[in-house]
Amino acid sequence: MNRKRLGAAIGVGVVAGLLALTISAAAGASARHSAKFKNGGTFTVAMTNGEPDALDPTLARTFSGREVFLTMCEKLYDLNKRTQIVPQLAASLPTVSKNKLTMTVKLRHGIKFNDGTPFNAAAVVKTMNRYLTFKGSVRASEISAVTSVKAKGKYAVVFHLKAPYSPLTAQLADRSGMILSPKQVSKLGANFARDPVCVGPFMYKNRVAGDSITVVRSPFYYAKNKVHFSKIVFKIYNDTTAAAQALKAGTVQAIDAIAPTDIPSIKSDGALNVIKAAGLGYGGITINIGNKNGLLKLPYQNVGTDLARSSALRKAFEMAINRNTLNKVVFNNTVLPGCTPISQSSSWFDKSIKCTPYNPDQAKQLVKSSGISSPTVNLMVPTGTVALREAQFIQAEEAAVGIKVNVQSTDFVTSLSKADAGTFDAFLIGWSGRVDPDGNIYGFVATPGTLNDSGYSNAHLDRFLNRARSASTTKARRNYYKAAETLILNNRPLIYLDHPITNSGISKKVSGVNLYPDTLLRVAFAGYTS
Amino acid sequence: MGGFLIRKAGAALVVLVLASMLVFVGVRAIPGNPAIALGAENRDPSVIAAVKAKYLLDKPLPVQYGHWIWLAVQGDLGTDQRQLSVGHTIASRLPISIELALLSMLVAVVIGIPAGVIAAVRRGKPSDYTVTVFALTGLSVPHFWFGLMLIIWFAVDLHWLPAGGYVSVHHPIANLEHLILPAIVLGTGFAAVLMRQMRSSMLGSLGADYVRTARAKGMSEKTVVWKHAFRNSLITITTVMGLQLGGLISGIVVVEEIFGIPGFGSLTIDAVNQRDYTLIQGVVLVAAAAYVFANLLVDVVYSFLNPRIRTI
Amino acid sequence: MSVVAQDVEAPLAVGRNRRFRLLRKRFLRRPMAVAGLVVVLGFVIMAIFAPLLAPYSAGHTDFNAVLAHPSSKHLLGTDDLGHDVLSRLIWGARASMLVGVLSTVLAMVVAVPIGMLAGYYRGWLDTVVARMTDVLLAFPFLILAVGLAAILGPSLMNATLALGIGTVPVFIRIARGETLALREEDYVPAAVLNGANDATIIFRHILPNMTNTLLVQATLTIPAAIVGEAILSFLGLGVQPPASSWGTMLQEAEPYLTQAPRLAVYPGLAIVFAALAFNVLGDGLRDILDPRTTR
Repeated sequence: MNRKRLGAAIGVGVVAGLLALTISAAAGASARHSAKFKNGGTFTVAMTNGEPDALDPTLARTFSGREVFLTMCEKLYDLNKRTQIVPQLAASLPTVSKNKLTMTVKLRHGIKFNDGTPFNAAAVVKTMNRYLTFKGSVRASEISAVTSVKAKGKYAVVFHLKAPYSPLTAQLADRSGMILSPKQVSKLGANFARDPVCVGPFMYKNRVAGDSITVVRSPFYYAKNKVHFSKIVFKIYNDTTAAAQALKAGTVQAIDAIAPTDIPSIKSDGALNVIKAAGLGYGGITINIGNKNGLLKLPYQNVGTDLARSSALRKAFEMAINRNTLNKVVFNNTVLPGCTPISQSSSWFDKSIKCTPYNPDQAKQLVKSSGISSPTVNLMVPTGTVALREAQFIQAEEAAVGIKVNVQSTDFVTSLSKADAGTFDAFLIGWSGRVDPDGNIYGFVATPGTLNDSGYSNAHLDRFLNRARSASTTKARRNYYKAAETLILNNRPLIYLDHPITNSGISKKVSGVNLYPDTLLRVAFAGYTS
Repeated sequence: MGGFLIRKAGAALVVLVLASMLVFVGVRAIPGNPAIALGAENRDPSVIAAVKAKYLLDKPLPVQYGHWIWLAVQGDLGTDQRQLSVGHTIASRLPISIELALLSMLVAVVIGIPAGVIAAVRRGKPSDYTVTVFALTGLSVPHFWFGLMLIIWFAVDLHWLPAGGYVSVHHPIANLEHLILPAIVLGTGFAAVLMRQMRSSMLGSLGADYVRTARAKGMSEKTVVWKHAFRNSLITITTVMGLQLGGLISGIVVVEEIFGIPGFGSLTIDAVNQRDYTLIQGVVLVAAAAYVFANLLVDVVYSFLNPRIRTI
Repeated sequence: MSVVAQDVEAPLAVGRNRRFRLLRKRFLRRPMAVAGLVVVLGFVIMAIFAPLLAPYSAGHTDFNAVLAHPSSKHLLGTDDLGHDVLSRLIWGARASMLVGVLSTVLAMVVAVPIGMLAGYYRGWLDTVVARMTDVLLAFPFLILAVGLAAILGPSLMNATLALGIGTVPVFIRIARGETLALREEDYVPAAVLNGANDATIIFRHILPNMTNTLLVQATLTIPAAIVGEAILSFLGLGVQPPASSWGTMLQEAEPYLTQAPRLAVYPGLAIVFAALAFNVLGDGLRDILDPRTTR
């Protein structure tokens, strides 16, 4: 199984005054564009990031669910391949009032839901009210700044806000911006996920739990001529190797994420293409420093483990790891070695930040000078072959400098709950990445962060991160983030190791499949080439 | 007779209820909960609270159990994490496993029964030893390893068969291509059990009085073996097959995982990994019911064959 | 009381000696069972003397010789992290033997007294024990073990516990059934007449008479536990790195089925040989100990 990436990705943590976000360095990739399409045919995609959860945007959280939604639930806004926000069901970018407390979104005309009912302001209002009030709505926290949504005529809606909240547009470019058919919502209520109807090039056909989700070409879509497949089947594979074999055998025509070990054999297959995109996430080690009583049980107090009490030992721990060898041995050269929370593929990446170099000799010295005899680290690792391989690699590297690592392979959900409870020393875990740097840093290391499993609390860092949130210019934000990252790198509540690259395998018979830095495979407008 | 059946059925019901309680408590004893599993990157406290409320995790255990079992008795097993009904999910996956189980049984019967008969008839001869060694090997080979080996051999090297996955019965040939290796893996282990049971049962029958009488009457050895001893042994074998259901379910879980077959077994593993409480409870209830029912059936069949047992 | 007991003991001891010689003679006449015993002993020696036999430690990595083919330096080659495969096989024998034997012993220690008490006293105790056993048996052995291992958390000790508990119901059934039958034997009323109390009867008369059955069941349970350990480790619920077990070796080999199938072949063969040896031995023991099959 490939490395488990947690649920959602881009667009959630976008903060502070940016309506349109640009990621210039983010390299999107796509299969050949010039070819002519042939209409019809079934396209089967192997999904290797786990099974989607509920197919109701109100409740959905999984990464793979978003891949399915891309074919059947369009949003008010979308991201383009440079991760800029562009209108999708909205007619234009929103207009914000002077006091920044209302935001008006104009809607496109003549669009129909996939049950034939019209898309209009009333539908948007009904959907937003569901997102805000439905019991267990995951969207509610994303758009919590919204107090009410009102229709303004038939094709415009006004969002009323508690306080200025710039990330709203980014949220409307993700699941919070998907509009549900009011007729279907009335009909199915809480069971909307059993037969979801939105606006989209494809419409939901059926689902076999744990196995597949099938969508078929919509007769109601507003740009039907751009849609080529007659059916798309999302087939869930828990075993990436089996998925690779299915791709080679032609049972599936694409894999959304190939495991590092399978890339060579797919690349060497003449009938297949590999496309890739460097993601915005990272892989790293979270070190429990102050999470003594559980996440958000403030104040955080030092847990007193060898790593927690000695910053010299943490430095030695990092110096012992050769990130390049890690990339070669564990990942078959499929990640970007890195030491910051911001990926090299992001425009926010700061080249001037210096990484701690690999230096086992100095690490040995540091272990000695730390005064801790035979230091021991319990490293919690989510079950999975790649993660376990990485853990064993780290174990060997640390042994060479005199740090004993006990690997504790732990089932994924258990590892998350132990991380929240603070019952761990160090945790090998990644982050799927967000467009805005805030989403990759704040939650993990700010004192009130909801993902701060490290239990790290540093007033200076909090101040930098808060100022970065409210700063209005990009330059100012960059400076605050540089200061914040430098602090993190010196104190090591997390040690960042790499930034993953997603590789997708596609049959050469197909054209128009895209992979953006959000690493969701976009298949809706692809087709078989004639 | 009626009293005996009622007692047995009552005991089976008690077992089923206790089993459902055990699962209910057991699944909650596994670290982590649906809120954390579903939350993953989105661990907003309000969302976690909402999920906990949905699963009644904020209520005491007996209340949770009572709520679930009350609906379950009425045929409503609840909603899984996909917002699909648990009953529907199980119903969509169960037939795949049943097909696999039947195919495996077919493999087992085709190999196991003739081999067992041959071993019994030629007791102490080389063919008996061969069968015994084969049977013991069959018991010693882990399903998952045997599965991997067959994948390497038939799928990776020879490209004769797919490495895994499942195609619905609407495409019968592709369907069989996908299920043949898993059925062989499951079937051979099962065949080993059948072989041994068949052998010892046949040996018993061949030494029994009525067989001696038949021989004395001058019946041919063929008639003695097939008409009398074999027929009698089949009854034992039928009950053994019933009792092997538990082993078969274990095997199915492993084999489905190795071959990526979307059946009942892989559903169970996914449900546990996701802490999908309602789904796990539903799945285990159905599996335990099947097992208890099979045992009840064996008891009933036994009591017909051997009336003395009823008094015990 | 003690005089009486000694009187009973003396002739029994002579009888046991003669019986032992007879059994040994019968055992030696079965080449398969002897071969099974030899292989079992071989694995046990391998497990005990792993530090002396293995050319490298289980955790020794060589990142410059990853997935190396067999050579004089690494007789069976190396795996994806440059571990010496032969060494890991030898160290893996430890995990398998330990779990196989310990879990079986654990199951017997827990189950036999319960089963005997239920069978001896019958009544409500028996009903309760029988229902509990039924409930546990309603879960397939493997599912029970996997569930327990998930609750306890992954480690070799917990895998042993899980497999041991998973086997408990089987031993309860056997001990109960044997006790039910043995308490009807003539020597029980005789002992009662001699003034023996319940404990004496259970431990001096009934227990010794079911050791054969228990021994046979144990030799058949150990291979199941060995395979069970492999499955738990394969699912990541067994030993933790850098220690190795045959199951973890298989788990690590799975992504390399196409590139280096040998990584999956060796540990699998080790499991098969070990389990087969125990099964053959158990089969042989059953034949010589169970009077019903020796005709």
